[in-house]
Amino acid sequence: MDAIKAEFDRLDSRANLGKALVDINKCILLLENARNQIAKDPSSPSRVATLGRLHQSMAAQLDQVGNDHKEVYSALNRYGKALDKKFKAASAFSSSDYDALSNDGHLINRAIAMHLIREGQFAVAKTFMKEAGELDIPEDLQGEFVEMYQIVEAMKVRRDLEPAIAWARLKAGLLEQRGSNLEFDLCKLQFVWLFVQGGPDKSKARDYATKEFQRFWKKHLMEIAKLMCAFVFPTDLHESPYGKPFEDPERMWGDVAHSFTKEFCSLLGLSAESPLYLAATAGAIALPTLLKMTSIMKEKKTEWTSQNELPVEIPLPPAYHFHSIFVCPVSKDQTTDANPPMMLPCGHVIALESLQRLAKGGTQSTLKCPYCPKESTLVQAKKVII
Amino acid sequence: MSASTSKLDADAHLLLDKPLLRLPHELLRKTFKQSQKAFEREQSHVLSTLNSLCNSPDISSEDALHSLDSLISRMQGFKRKVDALREEERTLHGHERKRIAHLQGIFEVGSLVEEGYERWSRVRLDRLMVDFLVRGGYEETATALAKEKGIEELVDVGVFSGCMRIEKSLRNRNTQEALAWCLENKAALRKMKSTLEFELRLQQYVELVRAKRHKDAMAHSKRFLAPHAETHFADIQKAAGLLAMVPETSVGRYKELYSPSRWEYLADTFVNTHHTLYGLPQRPLIHIALSAGMSSLKTPSCHSAVASSSSNTASMANSLCPICSKELNELAKNVPYAHHARSSVEPDPVMMPNGRIYGRERLEVLARKLGLPKGMVRDPTTGEDVEEKRLRKVYIM
Repeated sequence: MDAIKAEFDRLDSRANLGKALVDINKCILLLENARNQIAKDPSSPSRVATLGRLHQSMAAQLDQVGNDHKEVYSALNRYGKALDKKFKAASAFSSSDYDALSNDGHLINRAIAMHLIREGQFAVAKTFMKEAGELDIPEDLQGEFVEMYQIVEAMKVRRDLEPAIAWARLKAGLLEQRGSNLEFDLCKLQFVWLFVQGGPDKSKARDYATKEFQRFWKKHLMEIAKLMCAFVFPTDLHESPYGKPFEDPERMWGDVAHSFTKEFCSLLGLSAESPLYLAATAGAIALPTLLKMTSIMKEKKTEWTSQNELPVEIPLPPAYHFHSIFVCPVSKDQTTDANPPMMLPCGHVIALESLQRLAKGGTQSTLKCPYCPKESTLVQAKKVII
Repeated sequence: MSASTSKLDADAHLLLDKPLLRLPHELLRKTFKQSQKAFEREQSHVLSTLNSLCNSPDISSEDALHSLDSLISRMQGFKRKVDALREEERTLHGHERKRIAHLQGIFEVGSLVEEGYERWSRVRLDRLMVDFLVRGGYEETATALAKEKGIEELVDVGVFSGCMRIEKSLRNRNTQEALAWCLENKAALRKMKSTLEFELRLQQYVELVRAKRHKDAMAHSKRFLAPHAETHFADIQKAAGLLAMVPETSVGRYKELYSPSRWEYLADTFVNTHHTLYGLPQRPLIHIALSAGMSSLKTPSCHSAVASSSSNTASMANSLCPICSKELNELAKNVPYAHHARSSVEPDPVMMPNGRIYGRERLEVLARKLGLPKGMVRDPTTGEDVEEKRLRKVYIM
């Protein structure tokens, strides 16, 4: 990148058309001077002399303009070469290979529109839907996200938890099913915030606790008790064993806002982070590996045999792992609907096809677990879901 | 594991970003060439005028002054032209500087898990979206998005919308704009041995024959097709034969020439030529990024009939998988899934009586959060409550 930067700086600061402009101006001055001289002294000999001088100096000055252009030309070439060198590997993409998505433009349109909505770019999304027509987007999606952004904005800008708490109460049943404690986390943050903001006056926090914590005692008694102990140490709270929840309320705001958006999206059946962002980023991470694979396959003139599966493993950061992966330890295949994972009575799991091979086709014949001495039959194996 | 998978190789990361710097460079070359050409014209004119002035000593001083005046005004015209080009150049340099700075940003990020990386990667996604939108003809959306995100200098809406305009004119059966474009880029097109101009001229010829203006057609052929005889002799012969054929002909090679699908072909050829000339990829970059990314994220469970025990919206443990999410699920149907050599499951896996496998800790945490009675756990996917003693330990190798 530094090489590119250096060549570009040269192009930008020195090899631009500005110099040519200066020299063109000089040409004009030469012409004007000669003209004035001839106008002043139109006698034939001096006119001839002036014109002769002008011819010479103009030729030289125009050459200079030519040189100015040459300088721009060579700097542009050098810069172009620096670019080529830097992006040598990238040229592999310009040859148009098979494009798996070329017929799926409308699905990409939809993914982009949903991305714009979830990112809160409502105006752009509206323009897009007007320009692109029917995109088959869930009807209420925009309304839902408008609400989400209003709630998040209330939290982040106005430090107002009321709308979030109201939402969590409305969805209490669904949140409960997911094992989410969002409502309690929101109320807890409200309490901590009142406690910290109130300074020496703890009456607001106390009133809030008496009013709101009632409903949570069954599930969160221990935590409420710890929070209440803060009243016992109003001055040296941070040295007390109960200071922890009050240490960093700013971070708590961030965490709670994050889990709020996560819960909100989950209830809509959507992932918390934009799938389009995750996929595009994973793509950029995967590309070098895929490119290398393609070039190796070309070199060895081999074809990619498993159409459904990439031939190489792509290393992605842990945040990009979403599902548990089961690879059959016998066949090394990932299990699918057609070839599901099966658990033997001993607790070892292998793929159905491997199991059938071990049983040699017979449902009654005994087979030995590949990992322990225990014997069983095909019918004793149980299909599991990972 | 996490240390190695989070490593960021900035150089390899810029595979998609060649056109970002390439396009302004091509535009700069074009600007330069315009200036160069104008200069060459002026130079020869000025020098030859001065030469003849010097070589005709008998010229009256009025005539000499008159000649000089016209030279001065021509020079001033030239200066105005270069001035305008210099302005264009300045703008392009500004764009290029911003773009280089944007790409340099990735070199300042240490790893894929840093916050700075996400910021950078989001700008990249915005760029890819604008590229896709403007190629799809959604110029208004593309412009609005670029403006909203403040990345106008990192995208090339103008270049693409110019291209789309000409493409559209061809689909509307009009060759004017495309021919003007060919003229503008004559030298470059010759260099890349483009057949676009010939094809356009041939189409004009076909239209003349179709309109039964045979005389005009022959004149057109003489003027515009004949100069390409060296490279397109067979085509010119075929074109001559067309004069004897009615548009309803059933003779294959002539039917082909009369076919309205030639306009689609011309439009596609134009876009192709345009992108090649500017070093732009033929397909939207987001296609490349998305197909690679979806493949590397996809697992066999993403399109399975049975909801996976991991990563679904019914459970708290993780966010929903992006491939399972509505946005991408259908789109990802046709891409291959990622390759894994080893299983990776939650630690201490146990099986529910319904066959679902979870990590023991996850079940315990969920039971605590739900406030279930002691000794009970709940299946996060199906919601069934089960006695903990009915869980079976499984061994995943």
